Amino acid sequence: MDEFNDNEITKLLRLKRYEQPPAGYFENFIHEFHRRQRDELLRQPLWRICVDRARDFVISFNLSTLTSYPAAVTAVLVCAAVISLKIYQTPQPATVAAKDRPVLVVPASTEPEWTLASPVATRVFNTRSLRNITESAKTHRSGTPRYVLDSVPVSYETTFKF
Amino acid sequence: MLARLAFFAAAASLSAQPGPDSATTISREVKDVFERASKAVVKIEATDQHGELSGTGFFVDPTGTLYTAYSVGGEAENLTVEFKGKKYPARQLLADIRSGIAMLKVDLASPALPIGNSDQLEIATPVVAIGYPLDLAETPSFGMIAGFDRKCFGGYFPTKHLRVNLPPQRGEGGAPLLNFNGEVVGILLYSFENNSCYALPIEAAEKIRSDFMRFGEARYGRIGANVSEAASAVEGSRAVTKEIVKDTPAAESGMKPGDVVIQIGRTKVHEPEDILDASFFLTAGDVVPITVIRGNEKLTFNVEAASSRPPLLAAPSLNNRAIPLNLQSAPEGTP
Amino acid sequence: MDEARKDEDQQLVARTQEGDASAFDQLVVKYTPRLYGLVYNMTSNHEDTNDLLQDIFAKAYKAIRGFRGKSSFYTWIHSIAVNMTLNFLKKRGRRFQLSLDDVDASIQNDKEFIEATASSSPVREADLSELQKRLNEAMMKLSDEHRAVVTMFHIQGMPHAEISKILRVSEGTVRSRLFYANRQLQNYLDEFRKNPVT
Repeated sequence: MDEFNDNEITKLLRLKRYEQPPAGYFENFIHEFHRRQRDELLRQPLWRICVDRARDFVISFNLSTLTSYPAAVTAVLVCAAVISLKIYQTPQPATVAAKDRPVLVVPASTEPEWTLASPVATRVFNTRSLRNITESAKTHRSGTPRYVLDSVPVSYETTFKF
Repeated sequence: MLARLAFFAAAASLSAQPGPDSATTISREVKDVFERASKAVVKIEATDQHGELSGTGFFVDPTGTLYTAYSVGGEAENLTVEFKGKKYPARQLLADIRSGIAMLKVDLASPALPIGNSDQLEIATPVVAIGYPLDLAETPSFGMIAGFDRKCFGGYFPTKHLRVNLPPQRGEGGAPLLNFNGEVVGILLYSFENNSCYALPIEAAEKIRSDFMRFGEARYGRIGANVSEAASAVEGSRAVTKEIVKDTPAAESGMKPGDVVIQIGRTKVHEPEDILDASFFLTAGDVVPITVIRGNEKLTFNVEAASSRPPLLAAPSLNNRAIPLNLQSAPEGTP
Repeated sequence: MDEARKDEDQQLVARTQEGDASAFDQLVVKYTPRLYGLVYNMTSNHEDTNDLLQDIFAKAYKAIRGFRGKSSFYTWIHSIAVNMTLNFLKKRGRRFQLSLDDVDASIQNDKEFIEATASSSPVREADLSELQKRLNEAMMKLSDEHRAVVTMFHIQGMPHAEISKILRVSEGTVRSRLFYANRQLQNYLDEFRKNPVT
């Protein structure tokens, strides 16, 4: 009988619950979260911040009551006035950064990322991909698609029955 | 006399010349198949829960019906098909996780690949696959049948699959496998090791397509018998009925545990694994003759297959249509 | 999932939607340890896990206005987490780095750990640690989707129904993936047993 039957695997897997990050990680996490939120806010254009604020203001009034609508509109107009005043008065703020916030490691548009399995030589043939294609359907795609070829079956049988 | 000598000399010299070599012949055959068949092979692009994907498919009738792998067209949306340099929207007709294929439809008049017969294939029969590897144009691959396998990765394929020594590449999931007559004998589904792959025999796909035309969905049948391996063969078969599930056609027909199954429909049974193929091709509502040995008797039961209950490998939804999975963004529409 | 937790979540979500950011903070604090386990066991890399968790909560915070409560917050946030992690893994490809965090000292007190070390086929502590390491390697050899279900079921202890809701596949598919993954893990460890020196 196998030493590693399903129960053993299950037990070993359950022990993985106790694999923990370094001490203090969780305590620090929320502070890091706040910091990133602030950074992102600062990177947004001023008009965007104002729209978000106006939307929050509107939502906080519970829109089912029509009486709050004029207040919301007023808030938006006030905000717009503030923005135009600010833009008029101040020089271009250096803090408004247009760069994407640093998210995951992988950049948004890349060359196709070949794994070790694919021969480097295929890069040479990339030029063949410039075929004449007229897109008659709305099919614009960005980035690299996943080229499908499964290495395991999508389903399988375990017993003989009919 | 001189003319005759000249004639024989010429004939002799001709026969002394080497004929076209095998490599040239094979190359010509492959080229021939490729040139005829590649018109009906298309690149498929779509998005699923993981993002954009790209694979291969091929037309099987003149009205734009095409086959592809389940992983390409089974759980994806925004399907488009690239044909003659243009992209067309496609819709899913059927996605069947058991067989591992999906059927799509494009609204256009299409060339169609003729359907072949995988039963005629033998070990070392040469075959050609045509697919869209990576972001490249349609590409032929040449190889040969290496085996007919039922086992896979610790389990069993739903039906026997063709193992082909042909190096598949990513993006070729759903590619047609053709014989040298240019007929489709299989659908390339899975890579295996480095230079091999598995293909679903075309008959299995055609069973699904036939079900679709009759019922609008894949309709597997179930008799209700579980089979295991007997210690010794009886009339050439080691497949003994272990259990007859109650309230099933098997129970109603009079089949009993201990019956040794020797034939189901046209499939002769020698070992439990043969049950897989027989089971796959059962259609609910069809009557199938089942021959067993019970003691010294040979009995035949004509059993009407019932609808197969969702197995471990359930189809994604009731009608075998995949639920579009598009969870790339946070579910703002809210589950 | 118990009703008390569900109620508490509902209240925190409602408060967040009304603009109380501190309510969302409470949700973050509550769910970070759970989601850490989920994401880490799928990626096996602490740095990637940290980045992903930050992005998961950032995304959730942006999207929470649209959350109507048709599913529980638990399911919703786990859905976001699993899908973002799978997307990330797809982009990362197979160039993973195993970063095995130190197993927390609390493992000593785990009932199963004690059982495993004192079982009739005694496994010494060093052997167990080696097994754990091999298991981690074996996990990374699974497909991303298979590793996801193994993590959710065996490590996180989620029921099939919950996993099925999160992944939006049938329970049958969940069970089938679990079965297959278990067999794969078993095979890898069996091979290790036969060829212990790698």
